[in-house]
Amino acid sequence: MIEIRDLRYRTLHIDYIDIPEGITTIIGKNGSGKTTLLRLCAGITVPESGTILIDRTPPRQTTTGWVNEFPDRNMLFSKVYDEISSPLRFGHVAPDTADCEVRNIANRSGISHLLSRRVYDLSGGEKVLVALAAALATHPKILILDEYDSHLDREHCDRIEHLLRDSGCDYILRCTQQMETAAGSDTILMFDEGKLVHAGHPADVFSYLKETGYYPFSWRVRL
Amino acid sequence: MESEVMKVVLDGVILNRHSFSLAAQGEFSQGIHLVSGAVGSGKSTLALAIAGIFPPEQGMISRPGIDSVMISMQFPEYHVTGMTLQEECTSWGCKPEKIFSSPDFFTKKHQSPFAISRGELKQFHLSCILEKHYDLLIFDEPFSSLDCESKQRFCQRLSQQKKGVTILFTHEETFLPRIDRIWEIINGVLHDRGAPPEAISQWSGAPPHIKKLIGQGKTPKNISFDDVLEAACRT
Repeated sequence: MIEIRDLRYRTLHIDYIDIPEGITTIIGKNGSGKTTLLRLCAGITVPESGTILIDRTPPRQTTTGWVNEFPDRNMLFSKVYDEISSPLRFGHVAPDTADCEVRNIANRSGISHLLSRRVYDLSGGEKVLVALAAALATHPKILILDEYDSHLDREHCDRIEHLLRDSGCDYILRCTQQMETAAGSDTILMFDEGKLVHAGHPADVFSYLKETGYYPFSWRVRL
Repeated sequence: MESEVMKVVLDGVILNRHSFSLAAQGEFSQGIHLVSGAVGSGKSTLALAIAGIFPPEQGMISRPGIDSVMISMQFPEYHVTGMTLQEECTSWGCKPEKIFSSPDFFTKKHQSPFAISRGELKQFHLSCILEKHYDLLIFDEPFSSLDCESKQRFCQRLSQQKKGVTILFTHEETFLPRIDRIWEIINGVLHDRGAPPEAISQWSGAPPHIKKLIGQGKTPKNISFDDVLEAACRT
């Protein structure tokens, strides 16, 4: 369980929430605090007050995979292969094992053909896929994705959805503006102006949003 | 003297970049055009080429009747030149009182463009662009990072455009404006699917819910949220 208690950071205020294992999607307006919460859960920033515990462990002591909303900021190395293998190399994984891991995750992500490419020559969507592969290479306990899908087509979104389900990560925390994607989550958190306004199963949360643009289109017309 | 009809003409264009090559032929006349295509298919490169930033390897891109061109890049931070939102607004040649009358930005004029969320920066960037008229407007993934309400607002603003050529390169599936022509890039070739509603059934990259509607014999008149909803509600 991810337990958040009395959390305060800038405009973000969360008194109490328990997030179960599985895929949790955070939705809400631009500037409502979605990215801020993801950064806190990743340990990139620390709360001004309050606590976040992931299975009773602080974020900075938890293995975390992070996919930034700015794909360019994910990249440390110039070659795709080096970028994906970097977390394994930093973790002192043996070269042969690291090589197997890189090729395996690249294959599952559908980006084997990009391994020899320069990261700066990739399209925006391809950069997100490379960042995701690098994040999954170390089999993190928690995977955090910040609007990863805003650069992707349907085919890649579907592929990544399968990849996330098979990732073995205990917790996947993401934010998206694609409500069809959010509808497939285990849990949804909705924020407005830094406050948690709805939390629960997608059917429960979306039942409050029927009159808004956040209600999934396929649910609206029962296709 | 009669003014020339505004259009963008792609004549035997071949674009080569990294591992792909894109062949493009056709005319983008006045109205709103949607260009779809898979990740890495060359949408952004084509957008840059139409804007005159990326030269084609072969062929020619001409823009008769077009005096002003603006491209909105996929990542809004690429456009930032000001230290504050107010400076940024001024750099676009916009009147601050108009941009900052929006409740979204009213209290933020002295903030750094990088201190607001990316979605807010994208909203701000699009507001500045749409505040002025350009004969040719090119949007590369304008919906990325926008929340659902902002996407709807952007579609409304676009539909108020009275003249000029507007080209949208996007993966967005739900919130789209009413458009005049659909194009798609498949296997390195730009295909002109024509005008809706006929073009919608020719559109292989149509969103899944639109494909389902076509399968049920309920082809929408256009691809806007309201048009698709109307089609879905037909009995």
